[in-house]
Amino acid sequence: MLGSIITPDLFASALRMATPLALAAIGGTICERSGVVNIALEGIMLCGAFAGVAVTLAIGNPWLGIIAAMLAGVAIAAIHAFTSINLRSDQVVSGTAINILALGVTGFLMEIMYGHPGTTEAITTIKPIFRFASESGNSFLGTVWHWINTIFLSHTPIVYLTILIAVVAQWAMYNTRWGLRLRALGEHPRAVDTVGVSVLKGRWVAVLMSGALAGLAGANLTLEQVGSFTENMTNGRGFIALAANIFGRWTPMGSYEASLLFGFADALQIKLQIFRGQINIPSQFFLMLPYVLTVVVLAGVVGRAVGPASVGKPYEKG
Amino acid sequence: MPLLELREITKVFPGVLANDRVSIRLERGEIVALLGENGAGKSTLMNVVYGLLTADGGEILVDDKPVRIKSPRQAIDLGIGMVHQHFMLIEPLTVTENIVLGREPGHYGIIDFTTARERVREISERYGLKVDPDAKIIDLSVGMQQRVEILKALYQGVRVLILDEPTAVLTPQEVTELFTVVRSLVDEGLSVVFITHKLEEVVAIADRILVMRDGIVVGETTPGATDEVGLARMMVGRDVVLRVEKGAGTCGGTVLAVEDVHVHDDRSLEAVKGISFSVCGGEILAIAGVDGNGQRELVESIVGLRRPSSGRIELKGKDITHANARASIEAGVSHIPEDRRRRGLVLEFNLAENIILGDHRRPPVARRGIMHPRAITAVARKRIADYDIRTPSERVLAENLSGGNQQKVVVAREIGRDPELLVAAQPTRGLDVGAIEFVHRQILRERSAGKAILLVSLELEEVLSLADRILVIYEGLIVKEFAASKTDAETLGYYMTGGGGSKLDTGTGARQIATPSAGGDQ
Ligand SMILES: Nc1ncnc2c1ncn2[C@@H]1O[C@H](COP(=O)(O)OP(=O)(O)O)[C@@H](O)[C@H]1O
Ligand SMILES: [Mg+2]
Repeated sequence: MLGSIITPDLFASALRMATPLALAAIGGTICERSGVVNIALEGIMLCGAFAGVAVTLAIGNPWLGIIAAMLAGVAIAAIHAFTSINLRSDQVVSGTAINILALGVTGFLMEIMYGHPGTTEAITTIKPIFRFASESGNSFLGTVWHWINTIFLSHTPIVYLTILIAVVAQWAMYNTRWGLRLRALGEHPRAVDTVGVSVLKGRWVAVLMSGALAGLAGANLTLEQVGSFTENMTNGRGFIALAANIFGRWTPMGSYEASLLFGFADALQIKLQIFRGQINIPSQFFLMLPYVLTVVVLAGVVGRAVGPASVGKPYEKG
Repeated sequence: MPLLELREITKVFPGVLANDRVSIRLERGEIVALLGENGAGKSTLMNVVYGLLTADGGEILVDDKPVRIKSPRQAIDLGIGMVHQHFMLIEPLTVTENIVLGREPGHYGIIDFTTARERVREISERYGLKVDPDAKIIDLSVGMQQRVEILKALYQGVRVLILDEPTAVLTPQEVTELFTVVRSLVDEGLSVVFITHKLEEVVAIADRILVMRDGIVVGETTPGATDEVGLARMMVGRDVVLRVEKGAGTCGGTVLAVEDVHVHDDRSLEAVKGISFSVCGGEILAIAGVDGNGQRELVESIVGLRRPSSGRIELKGKDITHANARASIEAGVSHIPEDRRRRGLVLEFNLAENIILGDHRRPPVARRGIMHPRAITAVARKRIADYDIRTPSERVLAENLSGGNQQKVVVAREIGRDPELLVAAQPTRGLDVGAIEFVHRQILRERSAGKAILLVSLELEEVLSLADRILVIYEGLIVKEFAASKTDAETLGYYMTGGGGSKLDTGTGARQIATPSAGGDQ
């Protein structure tokens, strides 16, 4: 029976499930490294998901939908940036407000634009890039090819784009001017200010980037995975992404890896539902897993997880 | 032609005239010391020059041209750099990353770390500021971190370097090294503004001395023209007693008894390895030692902030070995902690709130669990008056007080509680001569009142002038006991650095140990 649970499509599904988490988590990493807590990832993702579907339905081009999702993410993130950077309000309060707002606005727009709550019409989803045949008999090589093909070559563009983003962001954080300044910003903004780098600008850019990434995460959900928008369809993914960011110790690659783990737990949970009655692990156990893991990390069991020293603190010029 | 000139700089904070028409000139290649008490306005003046504060009046000229400095960036572009009292370093980043931040070498936004490291090494060699370019700031000693700050300014190509109380955080060894560095900077053509309130430093390093008091420059002199006593008088505005007189001690019965106490530090290493002593009422017992020899852990175990792993601590016969801070206060232990900003005060609280901390559960401040604002104000005003705390009101936030006044708040609270035992850890760290005199007088007054005082200090001058008895601590053990009148700084220094071997000396059976000077207790 283990053989029917541990199949290549379990891993493929883990990779798919990990993608929206990872995008939002990397956004969260960038944002928090700059010193701004972004609890609004959930709401931003939801708005991105909606904007993606709405534009695709209107124009019929899912690629424009992706761009719209990212722009919507940036727009919502701008609200968060303005309140937490310029107005120096409490970032958790601002983020929470945005989450509630996102829920309301997307529901409201559904009513206005489509005349009903719930779920939108289906769109044609973006298809996987590669389509290689997998049926190569029962030879050893055939099996290996089947696994590789299913796990790595069966995905839609954003899945691959996410891996690229994780790698590039990781590299950029430790090798570019932007990365150095970003890391410095969240630790000691005054020190950054005294060497003549604008704290305001640096934080704005970071928050907007996180908006774009969370928006893209929403596009992945609707345009590549589900094919329609349902109210509150992000269903806590933004919060799991925050957990992934912490689990990944505020690094893009770490965030990606943590998202893979959480994505795997999710995929396994779905798989196990099929075998209900034969296996007696409640699926809720796997739903709970990301949070339990995060608490374990925060409790310092796997070494200390310390965020940027000045994260969450508004910066006031001296 | 002066490199930098300030004309009639005025800066007002709510309720405080921090700088009142201050004029200063700085020539190429000179070291100007800016001497003044805590709160005299030294940092404010230099923060104006560095663009962190905007002056309310006056003019700044660089190379005889009037300039407006609105940000540190502009100051740096004009060749003015500053090393702050509280470092502007990013702890998880490396030395190189900190130094090049804001002016990173490279193309297309990609940092060329090879070049960066090379430049850091180049500057550090040129000015004799050795430091590992790849070390993380968090792993460096304070002295090293300061070097990084200086390197950062040099990397940015400054011609004027402002050092704000650079020695406050350094060990004597590091101070000597800093002086060497400062001289080599001047040899290379830089000008240095050296802010301090320590007289001996001014005399040692400055070409010219400007003395500030209450926001104005009260005088200008040179080390040759005025001695330390004269400088102290200019700075404080009255004659200062550099060493407070005290009468003979009495012993009014044992107050604190410490028996074979062992304490672990934060890394679970044994920091105190079996210490025993007792303190009488009316006696000042000092523990002298180089920082990091177990003093901190010993003090924390006595005041209830750390649990001894074994041994016994008694206060007037009552067992307080496992008392927590609250029980310890209730038993009659007061504690002036070594770090007033971190442990002595809640910086975000106002003066009144800080001055009743620890009394906040008992009358008159609180009754039946409810605090009484009017009683708090009354207690605060009384303590402000009794302890001469200079503040516009009791509602000022603790973080906005000068260091001397912050320490007075701590002293007022701890002594005002009328304790049986006062544990004073470095009670005058970072204070100017006037404030030191004040704190010393308060401690001696407690002694006259028959209270027991345990003084822990790194300053040998302080230990020698206040204590009746001195214990030398070395690597978690008491290695020597002296009557204060029968020893001197040199002898203490010898034992503090492990000179007597780390053999346990109970102090009673005076063993013959050869000392380099004649002032021992043999
Ligand atoms: N940000 C501030 N707000 C209000 N008062 C301040 C502030 N900074 C300094 N002061 C006050 O200005 C005076 C001068 O302070 P400062 O320049 O720090 O003195 P110094 O550096 O000579 O010890 C003090 O009375 C201090 O309390
Ligand atoms: Mg100062």
